[in-house]
Amino acid sequence: MPNDEACVREEAAGGVSRRTFLTAGIVVLGGAISALLGATGLSYFISPAFKKDEEDWVDIGRASDMKPGAPLKVDFVARKRDAWVVTEKRSSAWVSTDGKEFTVFDPRCTHLGCPYRWDQAREQFLCPCHAAVFDAKGQVVSGPPPRPLDRFAAKVVEGRLLIQPQAIKGAA
Amino acid sequence: MRAPTMTEVRDWVNERTGFETVWNALLERHIPEAKGPVAWAYTLGSASMFVFTLQAVTGALLAMNYVPSTDHAYDSVRFIGSSVLMGGFIRGLHHYGASFMVVLVVAHMLRIYLMGSYKYPREGTWMVGVLLFLVVIGFGFTGYLLPWDQKAYWATAVGTNIAGQTPVVGGMVAKILKGGADMGAPTLTRFYALHVLVLPGVIGVLLGVHLFLVVWHGISEPPTRMGGKGGSRG
Ligand code: HEM
Ligand code: FES
Repeated sequence: MPNDEACVREEAAGGVSRRTFLTAGIVVLGGAISALLGATGLSYFISPAFKKDEEDWVDIGRASDMKPGAPLKVDFVARKRDAWVVTEKRSSAWVSTDGKEFTVFDPRCTHLGCPYRWDQAREQFLCPCHAAVFDAKGQVVSGPPPRPLDRFAAKVVEGRLLIQPQAIKGAA
Repeated sequence: MRAPTMTEVRDWVNERTGFETVWNALLERHIPEAKGPVAWAYTLGSASMFVFTLQAVTGALLAMNYVPSTDHAYDSVRFIGSSVLMGGFIRGLHHYGASFMVVLVVAHMLRIYLMGSYKYPREGTWMVGVLLFLVVIGFGFTGYLLPWDQKAYWATAVGTNIAGQTPVVGGMVAKILKGGADMGAPTLTRFYALHVLVLPGVIGVLLGVHLFLVVWHGISEPPTRMGGKGGSRG
Protein backbone atom coordinates (compact mmCIF):
# COMPACT_ATOMS: atom_id res chain seq x y z
CA MET A 1 0.00 0.00 0.00
CA PRO A 2 1.31 3.45 -0.85
CA ASN A 3 1.77 5.08 2.50
CA ASP A 4 4.40 7.79 2.39
CA GLU A 5 3.59 11.46 2.54
CA ALA A 6 3.79 12.28 -1.17
CA CYS A 7 1.44 9.41 -1.99
CA VAL A 8 -1.07 10.40 0.60
CA ARG A 9 -1.02 14.00 -0.58
CA GLU A 10 -1.43 13.12 -4.27
CA GLU A 11 -4.20 10.65 -3.60
CA ALA A 12 -6.02 13.06 -1.27
CA ALA A 13 -5.94 15.61 -4.10
CA GLY A 14 -7.97 13.12 -6.17
CA GLY A 15 -5.04 12.09 -8.37
CA VAL A 16 -3.23 8.84 -8.98
CA SER A 17 0.03 8.69 -7.11
CA ARG A 18 3.26 7.90 -8.95
CA ARG A 19 3.54 4.66 -6.93
CA THR A 20 0.01 3.46 -7.70
CA PHE A 21 0.57 4.25 -11.37
CA LEU A 22 3.85 2.32 -11.53
CA THR A 23 2.38 -0.63 -9.60
CA ALA A 24 -0.53 -0.82 -12.04
CA GLY A 25 1.91 -0.59 -14.96
CA ILE A 26 4.00 -3.48 -13.62
CA VAL A 27 0.92 -5.64 -13.01
CA VAL A 28 -0.56 -4.95 -16.47
CA LEU A 29 2.67 -5.34 -18.45
CA GLY A 30 3.84 -8.31 -16.38
CA GLY A 31 0.43 -9.93 -16.79
CA ALA A 32 0.47 -9.41 -20.55
CA ILE A 33 3.98 -10.84 -20.91
CA SER A 34 3.16 -13.86 -18.73
CA ALA A 35 -0.09 -14.50 -20.61
CA LEU A 36 1.67 -14.34 -23.97
CA LEU A 37 4.56 -16.59 -22.96
CA GLY A 38 2.22 -18.92 -21.06
CA ALA A 39 -0.14 -19.31 -24.02
CA THR A 40 2.76 -19.94 -26.39
CA GLY A 41 4.26 -22.62 -24.16
CA LEU A 42 0.92 -24.23 -23.42
CA SER A 43 -0.07 -24.49 -27.08
CA TYR A 44 3.32 -26.09 -27.86
CA PHE A 45 2.80 -28.61 -25.05
CA ILE A 46 -0.79 -29.60 -25.91
CA SER A 47 -0.43 -29.41 -29.72
CA PRO A 48 -0.50 -33.23 -30.17
CA ALA A 49 -4.14 -33.18 -29.05
CA PHE A 50 -5.10 -31.32 -32.23
CA LYS A 51 -2.85 -33.04 -34.75
CA LYS A 52 -4.49 -35.07 -37.51
CA ASP A 53 -2.90 -38.47 -37.88
CA GLU A 54 -3.22 -39.52 -41.50
CA GLU A 55 -1.55 -42.36 -43.34
CA ASP A 56 0.47 -40.95 -46.21
CA TRP A 57 -0.68 -41.60 -49.74
CA VAL A 58 1.57 -44.08 -51.56
CA ASP A 59 2.17 -43.94 -55.32
CA ILE A 60 1.82 -47.50 -56.63
CA GLY A 61 2.21 -46.91 -60.38
CA ARG A 62 0.63 -45.57 -63.56
CA ALA A 63 -3.15 -45.84 -63.51
CA SER A 64 -3.22 -46.78 -67.19
CA ASP A 65 -1.10 -49.88 -66.43
CA MET A 66 -4.00 -51.40 -64.48
CA LYS A 67 -6.35 -53.04 -67.00
CA PRO A 68 -9.88 -54.26 -66.45
CA GLY A 69 -10.12 -58.04 -66.03
CA ALA A 70 -7.91 -59.95 -63.64
CA PRO A 71 -7.04 -58.10 -60.40
CA LEU A 72 -3.35 -57.24 -60.21
CA LYS A 73 -1.11 -57.76 -57.19
CA VAL A 74 1.06 -54.66 -56.75
CA ASP A 75 4.11 -54.56 -54.47
CA PHE A 76 5.13 -51.24 -52.99
CA VAL A 77 7.14 -49.72 -50.16
CA ALA A 78 5.02 -47.94 -47.57
CA ARG A 79 6.65 -45.18 -45.56
CA LYS A 80 5.28 -44.69 -42.10
CA ARG A 81 6.06 -41.39 -40.40
CA ASP A 82 6.52 -41.32 -36.64
CA ALA A 83 7.34 -37.63 -36.05
CA TRP A 84 10.96 -37.36 -37.29
CA VAL A 85 11.41 -41.11 -37.73
CA VAL A 86 10.43 -42.63 -41.07
CA THR A 87 10.20 -46.40 -41.33
CA GLU A 88 9.82 -48.24 -44.63
CA LYS A 89 7.81 -51.40 -44.88
CA ARG A 90 7.43 -53.69 -47.92
CA SER A 91 3.79 -54.21 -48.58
CA SER A 92 1.36 -55.12 -51.33
CA ALA A 93 -2.24 -54.66 -52.45
CA TRP A 94 -4.71 -56.20 -54.94
CA VAL A 95 -5.93 -53.68 -57.50
CA SER A 96 -8.92 -54.21 -59.75
CA THR A 97 -10.59 -51.77 -62.08
CA ASP A 98 -13.50 -51.52 -64.47
CA GLY A 99 -11.56 -48.95 -66.51
CA LYS A 100 -12.86 -45.96 -64.52
CA GLU A 101 -13.03 -46.77 -60.81
CA PHE A 102 -10.25 -48.47 -58.88
CA THR A 103 -10.88 -50.92 -56.06
CA VAL A 104 -7.87 -51.75 -53.89
CA PHE A 105 -7.98 -54.67 -51.44
CA ASP A 106 -5.88 -55.20 -48.32
CA PRO A 107 -3.83 -58.35 -49.20
CA ARG A 108 -4.65 -60.01 -45.87
CA CYS A 109 -7.58 -62.40 -45.58
CA THR A 110 -10.23 -61.06 -43.19
CA HIS A 111 -10.32 -64.39 -41.39
CA LEU A 112 -6.87 -64.60 -39.79
CA GLY A 113 -4.71 -62.53 -42.08
CA CYS A 114 -3.23 -65.03 -44.56
CA PRO A 115 -2.23 -63.70 -47.99
CA TYR A 116 -4.83 -64.88 -50.51
CA ARG A 117 -4.39 -65.25 -54.30
CA TRP A 118 -6.45 -64.73 -57.44
CA ASP A 119 -7.66 -67.83 -59.30
CA GLN A 120 -8.10 -66.79 -62.92
CA ALA A 121 -10.06 -69.90 -63.95
CA ARG A 122 -12.67 -69.48 -61.17
CA GLU A 123 -12.44 -65.64 -61.16
CA GLN A 124 -12.32 -65.74 -57.37
CA PHE A 125 -9.87 -64.96 -54.56
CA LEU A 126 -8.81 -68.10 -52.68
CA CYS A 127 -7.23 -68.20 -49.26
CA PRO A 128 -4.83 -71.13 -48.72
CA CYS A 129 -5.13 -71.18 -44.94
CA HIS A 130 -8.75 -72.20 -44.28
CA ALA A 131 -10.14 -72.33 -47.79
CA ALA A 132 -11.97 -69.00 -47.84
CA VAL A 133 -13.38 -67.88 -51.19
CA PHE A 134 -14.13 -64.26 -52.12
CA ASP A 135 -15.62 -63.01 -55.36
CA ALA A 136 -14.04 -60.30 -57.55
CA LYS A 137 -15.81 -57.60 -55.50
CA GLY A 138 -14.37 -58.97 -52.29
CA GLN A 139 -17.62 -60.49 -50.97
CA VAL A 140 -17.35 -63.73 -49.02
CA VAL A 141 -18.49 -66.68 -51.13
CA SER A 142 -17.65 -69.41 -48.64
CA GLY A 143 -15.39 -70.19 -45.71
CA PRO A 144 -14.75 -68.68 -42.26
CA PRO A 145 -14.09 -64.93 -42.90
CA PRO A 146 -16.44 -62.72 -40.83
CA ARG A 147 -16.55 -59.88 -43.40
CA PRO A 148 -15.71 -59.00 -47.01
CA LEU A 149 -12.11 -58.13 -47.95
CA ASP A 150 -10.82 -54.90 -46.37
CA ARG A 151 -10.09 -52.07 -48.76
CA PHE A 152 -7.54 -49.27 -49.07
CA ALA A 153 -8.60 -45.76 -50.08
CA ALA A 154 -7.48 -45.03 -53.67
CA LYS A 155 -7.38 -42.03 -55.98
CA VAL A 156 -5.82 -41.07 -59.30
CA VAL A 157 -3.68 -37.92 -59.38
CA GLU A 158 -2.08 -36.86 -62.68
CA GLY A 159 -2.31 -40.38 -64.08
CA ARG A 160 -0.72 -42.02 -61.01
CA LEU A 161 -2.65 -44.37 -58.75
CA LEU A 162 -2.29 -43.39 -55.08
CA ILE A 163 -3.47 -45.53 -52.17
CA GLN A 164 -3.63 -45.19 -48.38
CA PRO A 165 -2.50 -48.57 -47.01
CA GLN A 166 -4.76 -48.44 -43.97
CA ALA A 167 -7.53 -51.04 -43.88
CA ILE A 168 -11.08 -49.74 -44.16
CA LYS A 169 -12.83 -52.52 -42.27
CA GLY A 170 -15.38 -54.66 -44.06
CA ALA A 171 -16.21 -52.01 -46.65
CA ALA A 172 -18.39 -53.73 -49.22
CA MET B 1 51.82 -13.20 9.53
CA ARG B 2 50.19 -16.13 11.35
CA ALA B 3 47.58 -18.34 9.77
CA PRO B 4 43.98 -17.60 10.85
CA THR B 5 42.44 -20.07 13.30
CA MET B 6 39.31 -22.08 12.47
CA THR B 7 37.24 -19.85 14.76
CA GLU B 8 38.48 -16.74 12.96
CA VAL B 9 37.60 -18.22 9.58
CA ARG B 10 34.13 -19.21 10.83
CA ASP B 11 33.49 -15.77 12.32
CA TRP B 12 34.74 -14.06 9.13
CA VAL B 13 32.27 -16.04 6.99
CA ASN B 14 29.46 -15.73 9.54
CA GLU B 15 29.69 -11.94 9.74
CA ARG B 16 29.35 -11.78 5.95
CA THR B 17 26.67 -14.47 5.38
CA GLY B 18 24.83 -15.02 8.66
CA PHE B 19 25.04 -18.78 8.07
CA GLU B 20 24.93 -19.58 11.81
CA THR B 21 21.38 -18.29 12.03
CA VAL B 22 20.37 -20.58 9.15
CA TRP B 23 22.37 -23.50 10.60
CA ASN B 24 20.74 -23.10 14.01
CA ALA B 25 17.24 -22.78 12.56
CA LEU B 26 17.67 -25.92 10.48
CA LEU B 27 19.81 -28.23 12.59
CA GLU B 28 19.77 -26.96 16.20
CA ARG B 29 16.00 -26.73 16.44
CA HIS B 30 13.97 -28.50 19.12
CA ILE B 31 12.28 -31.72 18.17
CA PRO B 32 9.85 -33.88 20.16
CA GLU B 33 11.26 -36.35 22.62
CA ALA B 34 10.30 -39.85 21.57
CA LYS B 35 11.77 -43.31 21.73
CA GLY B 36 11.40 -46.69 20.12
CA PRO B 37 9.33 -47.20 16.94
CA VAL B 38 7.73 -43.77 17.36
CA ALA B 39 11.15 -42.11 17.20
CA TRP B 40 11.97 -44.14 14.09
CA ALA B 41 8.75 -43.02 12.43
CA TYR B 42 10.03 -39.42 12.63
CA THR B 43 12.97 -40.32 10.35
CA LEU B 44 10.84 -41.27 7.32
CA GLY B 45 10.77 -37.76 5.80
CA SER B 46 14.56 -37.45 6.03
CA ALA B 47 14.91 -40.95 4.59
CA SER B 48 12.78 -39.88 1.59
CA MET B 49 15.05 -36.83 1.18
CA PHE B 50 18.13 -39.07 1.22
CA VAL B 51 16.81 -41.45 -1.44
CA PHE B 52 15.67 -38.48 -3.53
CA THR B 53 19.22 -37.08 -3.45
CA LEU B 54 20.49 -40.51 -4.46
CA GLN B 55 18.05 -40.54 -7.41
CA ALA B 56 19.18 -37.08 -8.50
CA VAL B 57 22.88 -38.05 -8.45
CA THR B 58 22.48 -41.49 -10.07
CA GLY B 59 19.98 -40.03 -12.57
CA ALA B 60 22.43 -37.33 -13.64
CA LEU B 61 25.11 -40.02 -14.09
CA LEU B 62 22.75 -42.22 -16.15
CA ALA B 63 21.84 -39.23 -18.33
CA MET B 64 25.50 -38.98 -19.38
CA ASN B 65 25.15 -42.23 -21.35
CA TYR B 66 21.43 -42.44 -22.05
CA VAL B 67 19.94 -41.41 -25.41
CA PRO B 68 16.19 -40.66 -25.50
CA SER B 69 15.66 -41.83 -29.06
CA THR B 70 13.67 -44.84 -30.26
CA ASP B 71 16.65 -46.29 -32.12
CA HIS B 72 19.22 -45.81 -29.35
CA ALA B 73 17.44 -45.81 -25.97
CA TYR B 74 17.41 -49.59 -25.50
CA ASP B 75 21.03 -50.02 -26.62
CA SER B 76 22.27 -47.09 -24.55
CA VAL B 77 20.72 -48.60 -21.41
CA ARG B 78 22.33 -52.01 -22.29
CA PHE B 79 25.61 -50.13 -22.80
CA ILE B 80 25.41 -48.56 -19.34
CA GLY B 81 24.96 -52.01 -17.83
CA SER B 82 27.62 -53.82 -19.84
CA SER B 83 30.36 -51.34 -20.72
CA VAL B 84 30.43 -48.44 -18.27
CA LEU B 85 32.52 -48.90 -15.11
CA MET B 86 30.04 -49.34 -12.21
CA GLY B 87 27.25 -48.71 -14.75
CA GLY B 88 25.18 -51.70 -13.68
CA PHE B 89 25.50 -50.65 -10.04
CA ILE B 90 24.54 -47.01 -10.69
CA ARG B 91 21.56 -48.12 -12.75
CA GLY B 92 20.63 -50.63 -10.06
CA LEU B 93 20.68 -47.90 -7.41
CA HIS B 94 18.42 -45.70 -9.56
CA HIS B 95 16.12 -48.63 -10.44
CA TYR B 96 15.60 -49.96 -6.90
CA GLY B 97 15.84 -46.44 -5.46
CA ALA B 98 12.79 -45.50 -7.57
CA SER B 99 10.68 -48.22 -5.94
CA PHE B 100 12.09 -47.57 -2.47
CA MET B 101 11.35 -43.85 -2.85
CA VAL B 102 7.65 -44.65 -3.31
CA VAL B 103 7.70 -47.01 -0.29
CA LEU B 104 9.34 -44.37 1.93
CA VAL B 105 7.06 -41.54 0.82
CA VAL B 106 3.97 -43.68 1.50
CA ALA B 107 5.35 -44.68 4.93
CA HIS B 108 6.08 -41.00 5.73
CA MET B 109 2.52 -40.08 4.73
CA LEU B 110 1.12 -42.87 6.91
CA ARG B 111 3.04 -41.62 9.97
CA ILE B 112 1.70 -38.08 9.41
CA TYR B 113 -1.82 -39.47 9.09
CA LEU B 114 -1.67 -41.87 12.03
CA MET B 115 -0.15 -39.29 14.38
CA GLY B 116 -2.57 -36.59 13.25
CA SER B 117 0.38 -34.34 12.36
CA TYR B 118 -1.55 -32.87 9.42
CA LYS B 119 -3.85 -30.96 11.80
CA TYR B 120 -3.83 -27.20 12.45
CA PRO B 121 -1.57 -25.35 11.77
CA ARG B 122 0.17 -27.85 9.47
CA GLU B 123 -2.49 -28.28 6.74
CA GLY B 124 -0.27 -26.45 4.22
CA THR B 125 2.61 -28.86 4.84
CA TRP B 126 0.22 -31.78 4.20
CA MET B 127 -1.18 -30.28 0.98
CA VAL B 128 2.31 -29.65 -0.41
CA GLY B 129 3.12 -33.21 0.66
CA VAL B 130 0.24 -34.57 -1.43
CA LEU B 131 1.66 -32.72 -4.46
CA LEU B 132 5.11 -34.17 -3.68
CA PHE B 133 3.58 -37.66 -3.64
CA LEU B 134 2.02 -37.07 -7.08
CA VAL B 135 5.34 -35.82 -8.44
CA VAL B 136 7.10 -38.96 -7.16
CA ILE B 137 4.47 -41.10 -8.91
CA GLY B 138 5.08 -38.96 -12.02
CA PHE B 139 8.82 -39.73 -11.79
CA GLY B 140 8.05 -43.43 -11.62
CA PHE B 141 5.60 -43.34 -14.57
CA THR B 142 7.86 -41.31 -16.87
CA GLY B 143 11.09 -43.09 -15.84
CA TYR B 144 9.61 -46.54 -16.44
CA LEU B 145 9.35 -45.90 -20.20
CA LEU B 146 12.96 -44.79 -20.65
CA PRO B 147 14.68 -48.22 -21.07
CA TRP B 148 12.33 -48.66 -24.12
CA ASP B 149 12.10 -52.44 -23.75
CA GLN B 150 8.92 -54.53 -24.06
CA LYS B 151 7.95 -54.07 -20.41
CA ALA B 152 8.51 -50.32 -20.59
CA TYR B 153 6.60 -49.92 -23.86
CA TRP B 154 3.53 -51.92 -22.87
CA ALA B 155 3.35 -50.50 -19.35
CA THR B 156 3.19 -47.02 -20.87
CA ALA B 157 0.69 -48.16 -23.49
CA VAL B 158 -1.55 -49.38 -20.66
CA GLY B 159 -0.92 -46.25 -18.59
CA THR B 160 -1.76 -43.83 -21.39
CA ASN B 161 -4.82 -45.92 -22.31
CA ILE B 162 -6.05 -45.64 -18.72
CA ALA B 163 -5.66 -41.85 -18.99
CA GLY B 164 -7.60 -42.10 -22.27
CA GLN B 165 -10.60 -43.64 -20.46
CA THR B 166 -11.27 -40.39 -18.55
CA PRO B 167 -14.67 -38.99 -19.54
CA VAL B 168 -14.70 -36.00 -21.94
CA VAL B 169 -11.02 -34.96 -21.76
CA GLY B 170 -9.45 -38.46 -21.78
CA GLY B 171 -8.73 -38.62 -25.49
CA MET B 172 -6.92 -35.29 -25.45
CA VAL B 173 -4.96 -36.11 -22.29
CA ALA B 174 -3.77 -39.40 -23.81
CA LYS B 175 -2.69 -37.64 -27.03
CA ILE B 176 -0.84 -34.94 -25.08
CA LEU B 177 0.93 -37.61 -22.99
CA LYS B 178 1.88 -39.63 -26.08
CA GLY B 179 2.74 -36.60 -28.22
CA GLY B 180 0.44 -37.95 -30.94
CA ALA B 181 -2.26 -40.49 -31.66
CA ASP B 182 0.12 -43.46 -31.31
CA MET B 183 3.05 -44.16 -29.02
CA GLY B 184 6.35 -43.50 -30.72
CA ALA B 185 9.40 -41.26 -30.94
CA PRO B 186 7.69 -38.16 -29.46
CA THR B 187 6.38 -40.19 -26.50
CA LEU B 188 9.93 -41.09 -25.48
CA THR B 189 11.29 -37.54 -25.78
CA ARG B 190 8.29 -36.12 -23.91
CA PHE B 191 8.64 -38.58 -21.05
CA TYR B 192 12.39 -37.93 -20.93
CA ALA B 193 11.93 -34.15 -20.77
CA LEU B 194 9.33 -34.54 -18.02
CA HIS B 195 11.51 -37.01 -16.12
CA VAL B 196 14.79 -35.09 -16.12
CA LEU B 197 13.76 -31.43 -16.57
CA VAL B 198 10.17 -30.65 -15.62
CA LEU B 199 9.63 -32.92 -12.61
CA PRO B 200 13.04 -32.19 -10.96
CA GLY B 201 12.22 -28.46 -11.25
CA VAL B 202 8.77 -28.94 -9.77
CA ILE B 203 9.97 -31.22 -6.97
CA GLY B 204 12.71 -28.70 -6.09
CA VAL B 205 10.19 -25.91 -5.56
CA LEU B 206 7.76 -28.15 -3.66
CA LEU B 207 10.50 -29.57 -1.42
CA GLY B 208 11.66 -26.04 -0.62
CA VAL B 209 8.16 -25.03 0.49
CA HIS B 210 7.60 -28.33 2.37
CA LEU B 211 10.85 -28.05 4.35
CA PHE B 212 10.35 -24.35 5.01
CA LEU B 213 6.94 -25.12 6.53
CA VAL B 214 8.38 -28.01 8.57
CA VAL B 215 10.97 -25.70 10.12
CA TRP B 216 8.53 -22.78 10.46
CA HIS B 217 5.97 -24.80 12.45
CA GLY B 218 8.42 -27.10 14.21
CA ILE B 219 7.82 -30.85 14.46
CA SER B 220 4.55 -31.91 16.10
CA GLU B 221 4.48 -33.86 19.36
CA PRO B 222 3.35 -37.46 19.32
CA PRO B 223 -0.37 -37.65 20.17
CA THR B 224 -1.28 -38.39 23.78
CA ARG B 225 -4.47 -39.93 25.20
CA MET B 226 -7.12 -37.69 26.74
CA GLY B 227 -6.28 -37.10 30.40
CA GLY B 228 -2.58 -37.05 29.70
CA LYS B 229 -2.04 -40.80 30.01
CA GLY B 230 -0.61 -42.98 27.25
CA GLY B 231 1.16 -41.65 24.20
CA SER B 232 4.76 -42.49 23.46
CA ARG B 233 6.08 -41.33 26.80
CA GLY B 234 3.17 -42.75 28.80
C1 HEM C 1 16.75 -35.34 -10.83
C2 HEM C 1 16.35 -36.56 -10.69
C3 HEM C 1 16.41 -37.66 -11.71
C4 HEM C 1 17.13 -37.80 -12.93
C5 HEM C 1 18.10 -36.81 -13.55
C6 HEM C 1 16.76 -39.08 -13.48
C7 HEM C 1 17.25 -39.63 -14.70
C8 HEM C 1 16.94 -40.91 -15.22
C9 HEM C 1 17.48 -41.50 -16.42
C10 HEM C 1 18.47 -40.86 -17.38
C11 HEM C 1 16.93 -42.75 -16.56
C12 HEM C 1 17.19 -43.76 -17.71
C13 HEM C 1 18.20 -44.83 -17.33
C14 HEM C 1 17.54 -46.13 -16.87
O1 HEM C 1 16.42 -46.40 -17.31
O2 HEM C 1 18.11 -46.89 -16.08
C15 HEM C 1 16.01 -42.93 -15.45
C16 HEM C 1 15.25 -44.07 -15.20
C17 HEM C 1 14.28 -44.22 -14.19
N1 HEM C 1 13.98 -43.30 -13.19
FE1 HEM C 1 14.94 -41.53 -12.91
N2 HEM C 1 15.85 -39.69 -12.64
C18 HEM C 1 15.61 -38.84 -11.55
C19 HEM C 1 14.77 -39.06 -10.46
C20 HEM C 1 13.90 -40.13 -10.29
C21 HEM C 1 13.00 -40.31 -9.16
C22 HEM C 1 12.82 -39.35 -7.95
C23 HEM C 1 12.35 -41.47 -9.37
C24 HEM C 1 11.34 -42.00 -8.35
C25 HEM C 1 10.25 -42.57 -8.47
C26 HEM C 1 12.81 -42.04 -10.66
C27 HEM C 1 12.36 -43.21 -11.28
C28 HEM C 1 12.95 -43.83 -12.40
C29 HEM C 1 12.57 -45.13 -12.92
C30 HEM C 1 11.47 -46.08 -12.38
C31 HEM C 1 13.43 -45.38 -14.03
C32 HEM C 1 13.50 -46.66 -14.87
C33 HEM C 1 14.69 -47.42 -14.31
C34 HEM C 1 15.00 -48.75 -14.97
O3 HEM C 1 14.10 -49.52 -15.28
O4 HEM C 1 16.19 -49.01 -15.13
N3 HEM C 1 13.79 -41.19 -11.17
N4 HEM C 1 16.04 -41.80 -14.66
S1 FES D 1 -6.91 -66.90 -42.91
FE1 FES D 1 -7.93 -66.95 -44.80
S2 FES D 1 -9.37 -68.50 -44.43
FE2 FES D 1 -8.39 -68.40 -42.50
